[in-house]
Amino acid sequence: MGTENPGRPNFPMRPPPGPFASAPPTMTPFSSSRPTPPSAPPTMTPFSSAGPRPLARFSDQSVPPPPITSVPPVGGPYQQFPTSPFPSTAQSPPIRAPPEGQPPFQPRASQVSASSVSFPPQSQVPPVPMGSSPQSVNFSPSGVNVPQPPTGLLFSGPRPNIQPTFSPPDSSYSATKSNFQPPFPGYPSKKPAVSQAPSPFPAQQGSFMPPPPASSSPFSSQQGSYAPPPPVAASLGYQSRGQMQHPSSAPPIGGIQSLTEDFSSLSLASLPGSIDPGCDHRTLPRPLDGDEEPSSFTKMYPMNCNPRYLRLTTSGIPSSQSLASRWHLTLGAVVCPLAEDPEGEEVPVINYISTGIIRCRRCRAYVNPYVTFTDARRKWRCNICALLNDVPGDYFANLDATGRRIDLDQRPELLKGSVEFVAPTDYMNRPPMPPLYFFLIDVSLSAVRSGMIGVVAQTIRSCLDELPGFPRTQIGFITYDSTIHFYNMNQSLAQPQMMVVSDLDDIFVPLPDDLLVNLSESRNVVETFLDSLASMFQDNVNVESAFGPAVKAAFMVMSQLGGKLLIFQNTLPSLGVGRLKLRGDDLRAYGTDKEHLLRLPEGSFYKQMAADLTKYQIGVNVYAFSDKYTDIASLGTLAKYTGGQVYYYPNFQSSIHGEKLRHELVRDLTRETAWEAVMRIRCGKGIRCTSYHGNFMLRSTDLLALPTVDCDKAYAVQLSLEETLLTTQTVYLQAVLLYTASCGERRIRVHTAAAPVVTDLGEMYRQADTGAIFSLFCRLAIEKTLTNKLEDARNSLQLRIVKALREYRNLYAVQHRLGSRMIYPDSLKFLCSYGLALSKSVPLKGGYAAAQLDERCGAGFTMMALPVKRLLKLLYPSLIRIDEYLLKPSAQTDDFKNIMKRLPLVAESLDSRGLYLYDDGFRFVIWFGRMLSPDVAKNLLGADFAAELSKVILSEHDNEMSRRLMRILKKLRESDPSYYQLPYLVRQGEQPKEGLLLLVNLLEDQMGGTSGYVDWIMQIHRQVQQNT
Amino acid sequence: MVKLTMIARVTDGLPLAEGLDDGRDLTDAEMYKQQVKALFKNLSKGHNEASRMSVETGPYVFHYIIEGRVCYLTMCDRSYPKKLAFQYLEDLKNEFERVNGAQIETAARPYAFIKFDTFIQKTKKLYQDTRTQRNISKLNDELYEVHQIMTRNVQEVLGVGEKLDQVSQMSSRLTSESRIYADKARDLNRQALIRKWAPVAIVLGVVFLLFWVKAKLW
Repeated sequence: MGTENPGRPNFPMRPPPGPFASAPPTMTPFSSSRPTPPSAPPTMTPFSSAGPRPLARFSDQSVPPPPITSVPPVGGPYQQFPTSPFPSTAQSPPIRAPPEGQPPFQPRASQVSASSVSFPPQSQVPPVPMGSSPQSVNFSPSGVNVPQPPTGLLFSGPRPNIQPTFSPPDSSYSATKSNFQPPFPGYPSKKPAVSQAPSPFPAQQGSFMPPPPASSSPFSSQQGSYAPPPPVAASLGYQSRGQMQHPSSAPPIGGIQSLTEDFSSLSLASLPGSIDPGCDHRTLPRPLDGDEEPSSFTKMYPMNCNPRYLRLTTSGIPSSQSLASRWHLTLGAVVCPLAEDPEGEEVPVINYISTGIIRCRRCRAYVNPYVTFTDARRKWRCNICALLNDVPGDYFANLDATGRRIDLDQRPELLKGSVEFVAPTDYMNRPPMPPLYFFLIDVSLSAVRSGMIGVVAQTIRSCLDELPGFPRTQIGFITYDSTIHFYNMNQSLAQPQMMVVSDLDDIFVPLPDDLLVNLSESRNVVETFLDSLASMFQDNVNVESAFGPAVKAAFMVMSQLGGKLLIFQNTLPSLGVGRLKLRGDDLRAYGTDKEHLLRLPEGSFYKQMAADLTKYQIGVNVYAFSDKYTDIASLGTLAKYTGGQVYYYPNFQSSIHGEKLRHELVRDLTRETAWEAVMRIRCGKGIRCTSYHGNFMLRSTDLLALPTVDCDKAYAVQLSLEETLLTTQTVYLQAVLLYTASCGERRIRVHTAAAPVVTDLGEMYRQADTGAIFSLFCRLAIEKTLTNKLEDARNSLQLRIVKALREYRNLYAVQHRLGSRMIYPDSLKFLCSYGLALSKSVPLKGGYAAAQLDERCGAGFTMMALPVKRLLKLLYPSLIRIDEYLLKPSAQTDDFKNIMKRLPLVAESLDSRGLYLYDDGFRFVIWFGRMLSPDVAKNLLGADFAAELSKVILSEHDNEMSRRLMRILKKLRESDPSYYQLPYLVRQGEQPKEGLLLLVNLLEDQMGGTSGYVDWIMQIHRQVQQNT
Repeated sequence: MVKLTMIARVTDGLPLAEGLDDGRDLTDAEMYKQQVKALFKNLSKGHNEASRMSVETGPYVFHYIIEGRVCYLTMCDRSYPKKLAFQYLEDLKNEFERVNGAQIETAARPYAFIKFDTFIQKTKKLYQDTRTQRNISKLNDELYEVHQIMTRNVQEVLGVGEKLDQVSQMSSRLTSESRIYADKARDLNRQALIRKWAPVAIVLGVVFLLFWVKAKLW
């Protein structure tokens, strides 16, 4: 029983999702009316020191003194205001027709169970009075028939008290959000008064109390803030109502909390004793658990594709344009068509070559689990456009006794949201291309000096066996400085023949064949070439770079087949077409209207080239290494429009960064890649895709051309309503990727998702998905920096957040006296923290001096392609204290999880006696506290532990501690193989390195003119309150 | 010089393999590929049962052989020796049957044997130049009865099916038109009858009317 000591110090900030997962169901039937009592202790105590705060803190509201003794759980400023759309008591659950087409978990069942079974008689007794609760609680404990979560199936078993169950109604008001939220040191006094006390107990007892019989008026009189639920809710269409009221039917897991309460709030009233209005930064919500996939969505529509493929910014699609316009967080979706599947969950591949793939005649949608068969199953209705199509004879099947198609088990496309069809000949205009890798390597002086060539050559050589597509894989090389060097790799040669073309104005290909060869045949020649590449140019003193002509040459060689072009560029292109100027040095441009031009490609060459490359199915990945300005904005354009990626290694030194380059290049070469792909997203009637964001080229209005795609690429799309009013109850989206797999098969990958149409704005907010929202915001903001000043991009981001919160506040402002609280739906509790993180991210942060132009552009290109999870990790990196783990006598690998307690990104989190690991998914920073025991440093760094850390390279030493550290790093790297995190070591107080590496990334701190987290919240809050 | 190489299953026209980067420096590669596809479709319908044939198209010639329900087809310049072209196809056939022979019938997706393209590519290079010693010696061997291989025009070949269609279309049109003709004739007949007797009937009517009026008045 965790609940006993809510005040206990030292709890993890947030409970792992687990606890609620189980808990929420308990409350479901009446969820709306009830708050969850704090479930487990950990949930509530944030910082050990905090303990129960004096209630007094929240002076602003008048409250009856808390009746009870119970330690107020650390409720903190978060509170939930339950809505009770159905004021009627629990006993008479609202009648609700199950909406058609709703998935099977039946709300209805749950209601029944709730009403008939679950309540212990006593529980019904004490409906109203709040304060009293503790007693009331206590008496019920008999606990036997504690109704367990009425979730669809398992409500029955009386659970041991462990699970928090329903608290008395009153408690609901207080609804300490604590469960979900980061800890709050104090409990808000007023509500607490009411609810507080009880809550801890009920949790223990697991007793179930009936909700207040009727309106909550009694309370409301006491406190304005707990008013009866907004009428809106009550008037919802049945559909949305169902969701609100019977969350049980929906997500059994985490997502529930968002349904159970109406909103969360954050007290921003002034603290007693302090003059400034402010709030305790410890109580602010922080995304320390990383990304949470929206589970409600998948639970409601179990046949939807997994959220790793497709996520909507809100799972409630607005039913009208007016509603949509009040949702300021952008209606849209993030699609990651080839997301990596966990073991055992591969997308099924289906072969319908003989019968043809079933598609809708009008909208060309593919058959999916949501189509309905009618007319004696001779017709099927397309769920996207509602057209009745004929069922071909081969596809006809009878139903069995339960109304399922008898062949359902053999038809994965009718069962799963994600399937792959083998494409018939009509889907290819040429035979499937072989995987093709072409390398364009800069061999000018700076490239030689940095050692890049050697690392690249070795890495490619080590990957030759793992390149996908054996035995068809094709490979080719060009190197360039002021001239362009072609290599004849014919298998009959003992070693490659080099041909130099120095006419940059009129590039020609010196040899018709053999510049691009079959890897398995010319393997020896390729190996000889790679072995000798570094030494061939080691004395090269040429500083020029004919980048443009070299790209053109590569294009000419590859244009027959397409494929992947990897460009390794070390200097600013200086010769031939596509020559670039040192425009980044022009300080006068910064801060003016012309500033954004620096983030756009120069001239038309790069855009035109990118368009040509895409047309011939060539995808470009740019690796840039220079320590000086190389105009990533221009170079990256090649990657941006060809579905590629930009890797930027500023100031590359092979001894330091070699490992990172090696891993990322290996990943790039060996990950499963889809070739010559196109993607289209079809939306149900009334919805339209308005714009697409990511790295690709738009071939027609809605067809994304993606010469190469892989699992590390995601695309965002904005949706809008086409009609003023949606008449359907569900909207469907279908993302289809047609591609050639490395094995030479042409395939069609279809992801289908359904989302309910809602008529209530509150519901939209409740169903919001922060991860998807920020994926979209991030892309919009970065695109905005290409046409505006950085500041404008940040402001428009802030404006969106403010508008959204204001709209949300208006929803509830009438019913609840909100005073100076900030309210937001639980689903958006991290809106502010990610908002702050985004505006401090590299592409958006500060003025021109805050980040190098190249770094900014490089990060921008990278972030445009990142899938949701990785993006969130980058926005709010993790900070972990690891010295305790390293020092523990017998640390097992299994307590690895325990040490992964993420700390808030504030300077206060850093203890000078500790060793910290900062991980943003792209690099590690290991921070040595000043008072850290020298033993630790010595063990980790070897003999030279006292030396300048920038020179030290972390390597494994022969002691347990060092091995353990390496194990941690390895584990973290394995969890996300797409980028390699290079460890940087820094000692406390070592300036300016510490500042650059770590302090600047502690994004909740105030730093050089940017606001800290608390200020940011206050600022947003003030803006929200204006004009409300 | 070999321009295109395609291998398809005769029973249903399913493409099995195709040469890599075929159609390079060929201006209307697409058009020729379409023709090849049409040809395969024709073959799958059972036309053109000849197992070896050359089909002229524009400046090029298709050569194909059908063996074991698989059609091996290549497109060459007109000047390219027929003998070499067939030798080339024969090489492909031997290798293809050796490697994939067992799976040909069960192949379920287009280009199921696309891996064969590397062999096509390799073999093609051997035949690229007609003047190499190897090719000249081949030319001198009288391996095939190449002279007996029929040469036809592509329009002709592709037109066979078309013509049959045309005939049946015409005959059906004839039937329907004759029916219309019969209807029309009947109609005209009636009109002629009316035209012939109408004046008489009218005159008689008037006369009777007069009689009647007269009888009434007086």
